[in-house]
Amino acid sequence: MLKRLRSRLANGGWKWGIFSILMLLILISPVPAFSAPPADRHIKINASSFEYDPGVIRVNPGDRVTLELSSTDVTHGIAIDGYNLQVTAEPGQNQSLTFVADQQGTYRLRCSVTCGALHPFMIGKLHVGPNTLLLKSILIATLGLAVMIWTGTRQ
Amino acid sequence: MSRLELTRIPGIKTALRSRWPQLVLRVIALAGFALAIVAGISGTPVGSRNFAIVFVWIGWWALLMLVAVPLFGRGWCSICPIPMPGEWLQQGSLLKPQGKGLGLGWRWPNKLRNIWLQNGAFVLVALFSTVILTSPLTSALVLAAFLVVAVAASLVFERRAFCRYLCPVGGFIGLYSQVAPLELRVKDSSVCAAHTEKTCYQGSAEGYGCPWQVFPPGLVKNTYCGTCMECLRTCPHDNLTINLRPFGADLEKPSGRKLDEAFKAFIMLGSAMIYSAVMLGPWGFLKNAAYNIGSLQWLVYAAAFLTFIFLALPGLFYAAVALGQALSSNNAQVVRVRQRRPFSTHRQAFIAFAYSLVPLGLAAWIAFSLSFVLANLSYLWPVISDPLGWGWDLLRTAQAPWTPYLSGVTPILQAGVLLVGLLWAARTALRTPAAPGARPVLPRQQVIQALPVILFCSAVSFGLLGLLVA
Amino acid sequence: MKAESIARWLLILLLPVLLLAALLLRSQGSSQAVELRARMPEQGGWTPTDMIMSAGQPLLLRLTSDDVLHGFAIGQSDEPAVDVFPGKMTELTLLFDQPGKYTYYCTRWCGANHWRMRGTIEVLPNPDQPDPTQVDVPNEESLFMRLGVELDGHPHTDLVPEQGRPDAHRAAALGIAPPESYLVPEYYRTHSPVEVFTALRREPFSASLSDQQVWDFVAWIWQQGTSSEKLAEGQELYTRNCAACHGTSGAGDGVMAAQVAAEYANSGHQSGPTNFTNPQRSLATSPAIQQGKIIRGGMGTGMPYWGPIFTEEQIWSLVDYLWTFQFDY
Repeated sequence: MLKRLRSRLANGGWKWGIFSILMLLILISPVPAFSAPPADRHIKINASSFEYDPGVIRVNPGDRVTLELSSTDVTHGIAIDGYNLQVTAEPGQNQSLTFVADQQGTYRLRCSVTCGALHPFMIGKLHVGPNTLLLKSILIATLGLAVMIWTGTRQ
Repeated sequence: MSRLELTRIPGIKTALRSRWPQLVLRVIALAGFALAIVAGISGTPVGSRNFAIVFVWIGWWALLMLVAVPLFGRGWCSICPIPMPGEWLQQGSLLKPQGKGLGLGWRWPNKLRNIWLQNGAFVLVALFSTVILTSPLTSALVLAAFLVVAVAASLVFERRAFCRYLCPVGGFIGLYSQVAPLELRVKDSSVCAAHTEKTCYQGSAEGYGCPWQVFPPGLVKNTYCGTCMECLRTCPHDNLTINLRPFGADLEKPSGRKLDEAFKAFIMLGSAMIYSAVMLGPWGFLKNAAYNIGSLQWLVYAAAFLTFIFLALPGLFYAAVALGQALSSNNAQVVRVRQRRPFSTHRQAFIAFAYSLVPLGLAAWIAFSLSFVLANLSYLWPVISDPLGWGWDLLRTAQAPWTPYLSGVTPILQAGVLLVGLLWAARTALRTPAAPGARPVLPRQQVIQALPVILFCSAVSFGLLGLLVA
Repeated sequence: MKAESIARWLLILLLPVLLLAALLLRSQGSSQAVELRARMPEQGGWTPTDMIMSAGQPLLLRLTSDDVLHGFAIGQSDEPAVDVFPGKMTELTLLFDQPGKYTYYCTRWCGANHWRMRGTIEVLPNPDQPDPTQVDVPNEESLFMRLGVELDGHPHTDLVPEQGRPDAHRAAALGIAPPESYLVPEYYRTHSPVEVFTALRREPFSASLSDQQVWDFVAWIWQQGTSSEKLAEGQELYTRNCAACHGTSGAGDGVMAAQVAAEYANSGHQSGPTNFTNPQRSLATSPAIQQGKIIRGGMGTGMPYWGPIFTEEQIWSLVDYLWTFQFDY
């Protein structure tokens, strides 16, 4: 077992070692601080079966966000992934949810009240700052592919 | 390649050979299946409160996609309830052979000895999936239809004709089982050569000849072995075993590569991409188009779906493969090698490289499934207490609220899975040998021919990242 | 052979017995209970729609929804509404002392036709019980019926306040008061604000007042006829029942407004729910007309009829609240 490992390392496994270190560095590196100062945002979201309008919301990290949910046909809700916050509203009775967008990233908004057949697929998106997960993933993938191609076709 | 014979571990061989654990699991699965059909027909039409939807499309699907297929290959097929009633009737017994059973025992037609019917069945289900996944009644009728077809197949044809040639789920389980770290193989082929009766295929008093119509001594890949363990029971020389092996060992074996399997890879990859957009995207018009079957929007959606998986995706891939072949044949050193290109025909190359899409497609399906499974797993608890939505509370969990699990972590898991899938696909592409059994061509040619394919895989992966994580 | 029979018994036991148990359990739960299923009105609404029961005898209802969140309440009753959840069962026991015809209705918006989701419960006199003390229910005709007001006209006036909304506080601050006769509910309820304005303009007390100040007195008269409790009740009724079409601001721009307007575009009536913030129309409407409209509905305009649902008191509270879209109290 150890002999195999040693021969693997000698053959080119060291390249994977470098990749692993680089990957870790990329993963733990913080994203450059976002320059925009936190602002107060009031966003009205219209919910119908089965989408949100606007379906995609962008805010900056640190913003104090108020989501006003306005249902247009039946009772809908919004549950924010990651933040674990919820709000529900019936048509004619808008409800608001206020929170500080301190977690950076992209989070799905899901309907939290059964509103018909496609209820589990009623989804919106909240972007808080740039999507660092996407950037890092693409970076790591490209690096990994490079190392793999560089290592060639060792059997 | 290193293999660990699991049947050497005390207890495992006995457990696998004994028919009881398998029978118990099969009966439980059949009971669940029957309950799903009953619940779908008589229970509440609200999908999230009906056993038929929650336990089939969330519970069983999670089990299948996240555990059974990646780790156990065709392990689910071993206990799947759909063929069981038909098989019990056909064999005339639940355990060991008792004598003749029912059925005509016809041979499956040669022309249909491929997975094209399974490809078609999967596409059919996929086109209606938005309704099937959300309507308990529709789900129940589809499951009941599977049951009826499976029973009919068992009574008309020999062995597990439904499983091998008709089941839409089996089509992709088979293909993706090439990735799994478990395999059923013979230990020593010379023992098989000396054994004339071949009871593993013909059957004996101890068990049935392979219901999957596989010849165990010839088993090289997992694709068509349903891990039913009959051959372990019938072999008088104890020459069959379950091996633990590296992931994806079957992918690089050049034998048995066919166009129908290649297209299955495209069907699975393409549908994962389309579902990621339609079901998990923020675009309501797509969801409504996929749901309103029969409407003009649905016809457009269906046409786009079919064009994407049968034309666009394979077409692009073919272009990538052809480019790779062209680029890697311009190498001046090749002049000395008899073949100018690594593969003698583009079709051969297309089929061979399509297997790189197996780990990519599996990763795509796992990443897609993670999102809706983790978000909706909590529906399982109330449904256990109230499977039909009739107001029962058998286990006092009927009021458990909906809570998405790991919602902050899910995108990270998805990205990780897609990354692993991409790297693995690239590795498979790089190791795709030129022809069955032939020695690989110059390493540099090997790499160059795979580059456009790797580019294709990257584009698909980044597209999926964009749909699922961005 | 023995192993095979054990296996077959296992199969027989696990399968049919389970299903049988399921069916048995179902019938156990529903003895004597009536299952009331709720669906969006386009898919059938309540099933069954009409129920019959006896006075003095309880009826157990098992409520469930087949699609979205609905609610259940009996019209003109003090009992709180009960939510009806998709795929869940809610139990409710009904008990009526008085025989009669009762209307039940959906209390959670379930689409543009939400208001049509109603049913009736006919409560028959209980043969076992001696006649309960008959409560004298005076068969009062509603105000608008007694007056025979025209509900389907198009009230309009060009005589409107020139300097903003009439403010009752400004009028109160002036320290004078209009004649008592104006404060009689029967009077101002039967006249539109512009009619009251014109009458006030002729009164001696308003001789030195500007037009705007006289409008302030109109607002003040309206305020005298209500109270903060009634306004709060009216607001709650409006929010729950009217805002979806008429808008939270009363401007006829609720979330359902466009759909209602489109549905009734060809009916020849006005397009869309009434805009209560429009002074040219509102100030020419009397509270009696508003009461009539609410009770009787819009006759082909999409405006629901609330007669069986709200009590007369509730409707007047609602009407009182509607005037806050024109007047500042």
